[in-house]
Amino acid sequence: MLDFLELTLVKAAPLIFAALAGVLCERSGILNIALEGGLTAGAFAAVAVAYATGNPLLGLAAGMLAGALLCGLLGVAATRFGVNQIVAGTGLNLLAAGGTAFGIVVLFGTPGASPEVPALGARGEGILVAVALASSFALAFALDRTPWGLRLRACGENPHAVLAAGLDPRRIRVLATLAAGALAGLGGVFLSLGELDLYSDGMTAGRGFIALAAVIFGRWTPLGACAAALAFGALSALQFVLQRAGIPSELMQALPYLAALLALTGIAGRARPPAADGVPFLDA
Amino acid sequence: MNARSATIFAVALLVIAAAAMALAGANPLAGFAALLRGALGGEHQLSETLVQTTALLFPALAVAFAFRAGLFNIGAEGQLIVGGLCAGLIGAALAAPGWIAIPAILCAGTAGGAFWGFIAGALRARFGGNEVIATLMLNIVAALLANYLVSGPLHAPAATGAETAVLPAGSWLPVLLPGTRLTIALLLALALAVFLRYLFARTVFGYGLRAAGDAPAAAARAGIDLRRTALVAMTLSGAIAGLGGATLVAGVLHRFNVALSPGYGFIAIAVALVGALDPLRIVAAAFAFGILQSGSLTMQVLAHVPKDVVSFVEGLAIIGLSAQRLTGTRDA
Repeated sequence: MLDFLELTLVKAAPLIFAALAGVLCERSGILNIALEGGLTAGAFAAVAVAYATGNPLLGLAAGMLAGALLCGLLGVAATRFGVNQIVAGTGLNLLAAGGTAFGIVVLFGTPGASPEVPALGARGEGILVAVALASSFALAFALDRTPWGLRLRACGENPHAVLAAGLDPRRIRVLATLAAGALAGLGGVFLSLGELDLYSDGMTAGRGFIALAAVIFGRWTPLGACAAALAFGALSALQFVLQRAGIPSELMQALPYLAALLALTGIAGRARPPAADGVPFLDA
Repeated sequence: MNARSATIFAVALLVIAAAAMALAGANPLAGFAALLRGALGGEHQLSETLVQTTALLFPALAVAFAFRAGLFNIGAEGQLIVGGLCAGLIGAALAAPGWIAIPAILCAGTAGGAFWGFIAGALRARFGGNEVIATLMLNIVAALLANYLVSGPLHAPAATGAETAVLPAGSWLPVLLPGTRLTIALLLALALAVFLRYLFARTVFGYGLRAAGDAPAAAARAGIDLRRTALVAMTLSGAIAGLGGATLVAGVLHRFNVALSPGYGFIAIAVALVGALDPLRIVAAAFAFGILQSGSLTMQVLAHVPKDVVSFVEGLAIIGLSAQRLTGTRDA
């Protein structure tokens, strides 16, 4: 039982980070489908810097920075250049996948995976799990109980009202994507330097999309998204057990996505996204 | 995007690609030369480039079809996979003369893709569910479903990989050039492009789709049922992508394999945008991206540039192109 709980938390932690990133972006009005790219960039940058410096903590910082840059690019492009957020997000995912696969060859000389690098270890992994859970509560508090959170939520519901109040919605959205990117990057760091000690192509394995599902299932709230991520983590922890019982692993893997599709039908109560989620705001 | 900014954009992408090649320790000129040689350097290379062009053209037309109706179909990849899966299952099971088997296989693929698009369309039409999220989720469900079926219950006993049995030779699409993999799928895709151009420019149905995409409020007031349009557009978009999957199965691999698509459905978004959502310009764009797809391996072998630089540049292209106005173009 204790093993199962531990495995659930380990499987859930990167999903929590990415899902919180999704909540942060969408509540500010940016539909960020590049969470997968943020995880990928974070996981890769962390390993690259840990490899070069021998210091996993510098790797962790680099991972957060890489995620922030990637998602921040979406924020800047969406608010200053009027790009379509969905299309740009798809481009960022492709960019991250191609860039990291290219980077592996350039940095390590062989395609597919990096060598083992100094990692955060079991203790670091445990701390990051705690950080993921604490971040959920911190973000819930910040969104619901601080002026910053009010402004951010207002941006996601009605950016024109934010402008009328004398604030710049574009700035708020860019800062939200930067912070979200750092969280997604941290999720990637957890995968490459926490759970493992290397980067390999495709190691994020669609977790960025599961996180999007968690955002919907958690009804765009940090604690809801965290709970959904924990549930999805438990599913993947159960996978090994249920597979032995003859349940196909693909079905288990598909459950988060099927759950998200079901949530779109509003079967579990109306799930309403922020009113200006994904709606461009340019005329400031 | 006007001609001047398009040129600046293209040059910027080339410079970035060259810088990436230099970073990989290769001579950028040699890299580009190898890419072009691998894509256009002979009859065999050119035919492979056209195979890639065809593979990209179907999902790109699918993406454009939905975009023109104001719907973001990010799910061409999943629709292509489900279409290919249905085509592979029917094709491997069906022992019939080619004039029956080939249409049956193509219809099965079209129906499979249409069904996958229909799910997203129905979620949007019935519940107002975001089609972006729905298609993203359906992409992954499609991959998992295909993986389960062809590595489990429907796995061909003789096959080594996760794939169906090989289709009977009579069910293969006829080749255009003997000794190559270039089949009539190319002609089918070109005909489809011309037909879609006609559909959008000259028919009431196409006008209704464009109106729903360009000015939904006005279209609704004019009596166009937006929900029905969303359902129909997503279903037909999926059908086009599914047909593409079927041509890959019946024309290129002659079986369904889980590695059917190296992300054609995602690259197709770039192709559709470069083609400004106009079916005929998308043909030209698909050829350009076909060159990248088919030349990248030669570039890796001859010039030692990792082929992944191509997806990196394609990603940049999508981001840059996402700034253009996406629904409708004036000249079509």
